Amino acid sequence: MTGRVIIIGGGVAGMQTAITLDELGFKPVLIEKEESLGGKLCRWDRLFPTMTPAHEVLDDLRNRLGSTSTEVHTATTVSGIEEEGRGVTLTDGRHLEAEAVVVASGFDIFPAERKEEYGYGLYDNVYTTVDVERMFREGGVRMANGQTPKTVAFLHCVGSRDEKVNQRHCSRVCCITGVKQAIEVKQQIPDAEIFSFYMDMRMFGPGYEELYRQAQQQYNIHFIRGRISEASPTIDHRIHIKAEDTLIGRPLRMSVDMLILAVGMQAGASNEAFSQNRHIELYPSGFLRPLNQFAGNVRSSSPRLFYAGTVTAPKNIGESINEGIAAAYQVARTLNSKRP
Amino acid sequence: MEHFRLFVLPFYAGAIFLLITLLFKYIYWFVGLSREQKRLFWRSLPTRATWKSILEIINESLLHRKIWRTNPLLGYMHTSFALGWFLLITVGWIETYVYFKGEGVPLYVDIFFSYYVHPIFERAFNFSLIKDALLLLILIGVGLALFKRIRSRVMGMKRTTKHMLGDRIALTALWLIFPARLLAESLTSAEVWRFGGYVWTLSENTQLIPPGIGCGSFLTGSLGQWLANFLPARIIEAQHIELGAWWIYSIALGVFFIALPFSRYMHIFTEMPLIFLRNAGLRASEKETTYDRFQIDACSRCGICIDPCQLQSGADIQGVQAVYFLRDRRYGRLTDAVADNCLMCGRCQQACPVGIEQNTLRLNSRAKRAYPDAPNRYAYIQGKDPSTGEGKVGYFAGCMTLLTPRILLAMEQIFAAAHETVWWADKNGGVCCGRPLKLAGEVDAARKMMNFNKELFQKHGITTLVTSCPICLKVFKEDYQLEGIEVLHHSEYIQRLLAEGRLHLHAGSETFTYHDPCELGRGGGIYDAPREVIAALGILKEPAETREHALCCGSSIANTAIDDEGQRRISGQVATALAATGATSIVTACPLCKKGIAREATIPVYDLAEIVARAI
Repeated sequence: MTGRVIIIGGGVAGMQTAITLDELGFKPVLIEKEESLGGKLCRWDRLFPTMTPAHEVLDDLRNRLGSTSTEVHTATTVSGIEEEGRGVTLTDGRHLEAEAVVVASGFDIFPAERKEEYGYGLYDNVYTTVDVERMFREGGVRMANGQTPKTVAFLHCVGSRDEKVNQRHCSRVCCITGVKQAIEVKQQIPDAEIFSFYMDMRMFGPGYEELYRQAQQQYNIHFIRGRISEASPTIDHRIHIKAEDTLIGRPLRMSVDMLILAVGMQAGASNEAFSQNRHIELYPSGFLRPLNQFAGNVRSSSPRLFYAGTVTAPKNIGESINEGIAAAYQVARTLNSKRP
Repeated sequence: MEHFRLFVLPFYAGAIFLLITLLFKYIYWFVGLSREQKRLFWRSLPTRATWKSILEIINESLLHRKIWRTNPLLGYMHTSFALGWFLLITVGWIETYVYFKGEGVPLYVDIFFSYYVHPIFERAFNFSLIKDALLLLILIGVGLALFKRIRSRVMGMKRTTKHMLGDRIALTALWLIFPARLLAESLTSAEVWRFGGYVWTLSENTQLIPPGIGCGSFLTGSLGQWLANFLPARIIEAQHIELGAWWIYSIALGVFFIALPFSRYMHIFTEMPLIFLRNAGLRASEKETTYDRFQIDACSRCGICIDPCQLQSGADIQGVQAVYFLRDRRYGRLTDAVADNCLMCGRCQQACPVGIEQNTLRLNSRAKRAYPDAPNRYAYIQGKDPSTGEGKVGYFAGCMTLLTPRILLAMEQIFAAAHETVWWADKNGGVCCGRPLKLAGEVDAARKMMNFNKELFQKHGITTLVTSCPICLKVFKEDYQLEGIEVLHHSEYIQRLLAEGRLHLHAGSETFTYHDPCELGRGGGIYDAPREVIAALGILKEPAETREHALCCGSSIANTAIDDEGQRRISGQVATALAATGATSIVTACPLCKKGIAREATIPVYDLAEIVARAI
């Protein structure tokens, strides 16, 4: 009886799992493929809907984790999970032993290059919501030539609810992210015209709908129901977009200084390798399928394999953290029942 | 009426019915042809086309050479029925002529010859041996046909056609004809063996055959001898069984002949007028004509088109394949669900042993139910000119290239590197080439797009039109009649730049595999140009099914019924086949294929222009 529990992924869900496991008297082993802990949150500036700086959430988690006896391996990648959660195999060939494994490896950001018609990676001034967070952290939104944009278009559902790129699921958090960023751009550039192209606005969380209303009423952001069909560069490096306003049923064209693609969450690339374990099943979307969606969200069909966070489906930060706690308690229940 | 027997009636009635029905149908369809189509036919007689037709009829209607290429056993089965039966009839006819010295005996004597005449082994020449050999040839074919029902894979077919009731009746009758004939001839032989008989011999006098000799040859003779020993004498003497067998033979023939014009066996005769008309230059067009009837009825529903269909093999969509489409159209029960569910990739047409123009027939079925085109539809495009630049060479990106802008950027780099001054037809958005509308059956609406673009091309005085979209290419070549403007696919244009030394590329050792777009390969016959360009850049690895047999990417605009899941599964099928070559990237020459394959590909997918631009 070692009490060692391996957690794959050092994002918010993984860190919270480690913290709770330590509180419960186990020995968490946290494996993170990047150089530092924090996951995708490291790339974020402020968080919806409260505009809380991302580092506040992150620092708190890091501090609490630091005061535990968690064994942290950064820059380490897991290549496979052993049967019955007895350990993991690393890409360098090493084996780490454990009594249970929590998979908290998260999601991948949809590569916007795959929607070639929007010109990401081809034209200047086409960015993703992830790029925009970086810009906010680096001092504000700027065009490729360093100027401040006067017109900005957001396009929602890039890589979400899109059969053409095999991403049928809703990524949930991009709607509110787009709204938050539109407000932030407006706060930074008060005279900017901001257009937001959407097919549905899904405001599922507390305060989200209110923020959406604020964006329309207070910040005068123009929400247009209809997706952009294609984007092309103009001679002066602006972006010419074609879309349809489906509420009035008319095609429209406009040129904007900047096009921001609200990229969705796609299943983590490592899920495929993890599913070699016979207890780990995939949804058709590639996310991991938990035991059930009601009382078994963090469990697999093996009593020693658990899930936490966005590895099973798109979630926001609060939900991911809660799953970290839930997974830790499920681990404790299994391991305690095995104790003599 | 010396030879008349009651049992010849079913055969006789069937044969007369068949003859009248066939003549009625063929004359009715021929009369329905347009003046131009008829003129083409009359002008082809007698020219080299006539001889070509006769040769083709021998090769395809009798020998079925194309089916031999699909699978030898399948080929044997078809040849044994067609050639075997044809020769059996021919030999029977010659035999009758010889025995009756040209006396005009009724047709049924030819058919039931062995009932009337019991030829024994003449010294000089033996008809019985030939007839028995031919009968054996056909019986083996019948055996194979039965076997195909159980184990079609051995015959080179994973799936076979699901037949209708009429076809099943005709099929049962056809299969019964030859065993019935064997039995009837053998029973006659048994009787002669037991009790003797008489024969009209080659001399004037009727000769008697003593018992113990029999008639027929190794098959009917031997079986007759066995039956004579096996069956009680009283039964043989009563002749009931013998007559009964001849009755069954005659009824089987009669039923088959009556069912023939309404069943798939209509192809036996219809392929012949079709071959003559086709070699005279007749083709199916975007509007239905009665020529289509010749094509549709020439379909034997052999089902060879089913296996190549990726809707079936990749997406598990059944009942829409060419064979079912033609069947439904023939019997007037074609539904939109069948007409629309086709990628028009042309793989079935490639495999069809009869050479039926599947795509065009499908297209004109769609056109038939299209709504009348409103006169002011697309009025907003009149007078627009979104083009830019000036030059003798025009470039038409097409809608799909505009949605895959990497290809457009690559073409810009290629034109710049070759110092070509280009007129850009639609870089800032243009009017569709018209082919998507045409494929949906909206041929009149499509014509408006075509006229718009044609006027634009002529107005700007270009002499060469380059497009990177094979869909546009096909419609430019086939429907635009662009006199004085050479239409090139970008693969051909790039190949020409390389050959003329206007473009220099850095060759590498990268391995590529190439996917033939349907509209470019089977649709346009362009296979070599893209391959030569790839060869100038790296190493080309061909997939298992390539060129004329290449797979479709599944994202064809021609299919307006398939759902996304079906497209994705077909994409997976082709992506897997291409990745199996071991190449590091997939190259294609169609923006739609690029998008379609990329959905499921595990290795990068590029358009030809992209890898060329990268190597400048």
